[in-house]
Amino acid sequence: MFDDRLFRPGAAPSPEDRDRPSVRAALNAAMREEMRRDPLVFQMGEDIALASPFGVTSGLAAEFGRERIRDAPCSEVAVLGAAVGAAIGGMRPIVEFQFGDFLSVAIDQLTHQAAMLRYLTGGQVKVPLVVRLPCGAGQGAGSQHSQSLYSWFVHAPGIKVVLPATAMDAKGLMKTAIRDDNPVLVFEHKQLYRSRWPVTAEYADPEFVIPFGRAAIRRTGHDVTVVATLTLLHHTLAVADALADEGISVEVIDPRTLVPLDTATIVDSVRRTGRLLVVDEAYLPCGIQGEVMALVVERAFDALKAAPRRLGNPGVPVPFAPPLEAAVIPDARRIAEAIRALVGRA
Amino acid sequence: MTHSLTKADVDERVALLRTMLLIRAVENAWADAYFAEEITGIPPSLSTGQEAIATGACAALADGDFVFTTHRGQAPQIARGLEPRRVLAELYCRRDGYNKGKSYHVTDVSRGVIGMGGVVPAQIPVAGGMAVAQKMRGTDRVSVAFFGDGASNEGAFHETANLAAMWTLPLILLCENNGYCITQPVADAVKAPSIASRAAAYGLPGVCVDGNDVLAVREAITAAVARARTGGGATLVEARSERVAGHLCHDRQGYRPAGEIDAARGRCPIERLRGALAAAQILEADAYARLEAEVAAEVADAVAFARASPFPATHEACEDLWA
Repeated sequence: MFDDRLFRPGAAPSPEDRDRPSVRAALNAAMREEMRRDPLVFQMGEDIALASPFGVTSGLAAEFGRERIRDAPCSEVAVLGAAVGAAIGGMRPIVEFQFGDFLSVAIDQLTHQAAMLRYLTGGQVKVPLVVRLPCGAGQGAGSQHSQSLYSWFVHAPGIKVVLPATAMDAKGLMKTAIRDDNPVLVFEHKQLYRSRWPVTAEYADPEFVIPFGRAAIRRTGHDVTVVATLTLLHHTLAVADALADEGISVEVIDPRTLVPLDTATIVDSVRRTGRLLVVDEAYLPCGIQGEVMALVVERAFDALKAAPRRLGNPGVPVPFAPPLEAAVIPDARRIAEAIRALVGRA
Repeated sequence: MTHSLTKADVDERVALLRTMLLIRAVENAWADAYFAEEITGIPPSLSTGQEAIATGACAALADGDFVFTTHRGQAPQIARGLEPRRVLAELYCRRDGYNKGKSYHVTDVSRGVIGMGGVVPAQIPVAGGMAVAQKMRGTDRVSVAFFGDGASNEGAFHETANLAAMWTLPLILLCENNGYCITQPVADAVKAPSIASRAAAYGLPGVCVDGNDVLAVREAITAAVARARTGGGATLVEARSERVAGHLCHDRQGYRPAGEIDAARGRCPIERLRGALAAAQILEADAYARLEAEVAAEVADAVAFARASPFPATHEACEDLWA
């Protein structure tokens, strides 16, 4: 299902997959449509015009030119800062970081400038800005190219955080991100770029968008609620299929956006199931998993039949050696064990 | 001795003098409010002795141009015509301030002033981005990034200077070199012959100007603006001055050599222009006294306005985050 050969040529799609868009193609289509619709949308990033490493901007420079698809120098601070200034000046910039981890280089421009300038100016400016951040482990890319750092930015006020897990969501959420008048981070899991997904007819509609703040219930169930994102959402769905054979009924919720977070859908689900597991690649300390648990405990403590559980990176750099990397990222086995423990079948 | 200036030249010089006097008076009122404990929190950062830089630079700009200020940003706010009433109301953290009491860094988008400076170099790349927008939207407008000598050692400055050269941006990088980065003398932290000389490393023109000579500053920025408006790209201008007040008002500057501050006071840019205008019989003592009185009355009114303005309502703490 997923791409652990990110740095090798892709295999030909199976006959079943041939007409299904990849997440990469969906992101590309969303940006292409929005750039056709709105001449104020433009992009900056390293190597995005000729050879974007993951190919998400492929072909855009040919259609829109090098002014609107701007190859940036290796200057993350200046480029993200330029996006903030251009946004204040009425443009709608999209910035690609080659690896999302590199946002750490320019974090002041995001958290203090992009995210705070509207507040600090008493609402005088708006900062419509999309930052695209390839994220996630599983490709042996090493500690500084494999993290899932969205918890940092959920913690900071004024930033929307988007995690698309399918081609439909990649297209619909990216279009909403580009039309949003606030800073939006889109975390794109590298293992999902070449993965292909069935889509409905509305996928092709240029006006198809997915609003922020609406979680998707990917599978209904009555014993356990699992909140999961990106690749781990799909691993969870596979686990849920398998556990159905053991008589365990699992509800799976994809929050899709962490800011805004659809707390109501998650809490309603836990009120029905009485059990919660949160699964994510994020570091566990102060991670998104703990935040979701806290929100549920505050609102549905009386409904809980077992202590909520969470899975994530225990708090070590994502290791380079594949066996070590696999040891710190949640997988199907650990998801299944956690669910069984929650229902007393451990 | 008389002069050969046109009436427009005379009026402009008097206007420049009035702007510098107004900056000094507004800032003194802010400092008074701090020492009288009318305002709390982070102390004022005064441009005393540096007024010629913002005054000369902003005189070279037009509507639609943008300036991005530093934490020592009141001078360009006043020089771009912001109302002292609403500037002081903001510095008193009041509801009628430009930013509704939400920032030390006064902003008025309608007059092209974006108040920044909470994080030292952050306004420099943002000004570069405004220049990207001005260029992409087909205007001939320009952006000015004010920054200090300290910020010239930040990566954000180097990255932006390089980007401005690469993309031929209509940007003026205006370094206010006031001799100190808080307690650190510039000579300790800058081993190049000047900050302006760094421009060569980016392929930009670099100009060093006497920052206490308002006409020289205006002339240097006018040239940089003309270059930017006609597609010539960015210029780095270093305006040299001296910090008279402390980094912030609570800074007693015990780290500075004896006599240095008094000597700097003796090179006051306001007194320099006043003296020149008096010598040329453009502005006699009584006319200057009237100008000072006019400015004092305007600032007294602004202080009264700021004091009378209410604090923001508590519910406003959660407003203006999202567009």
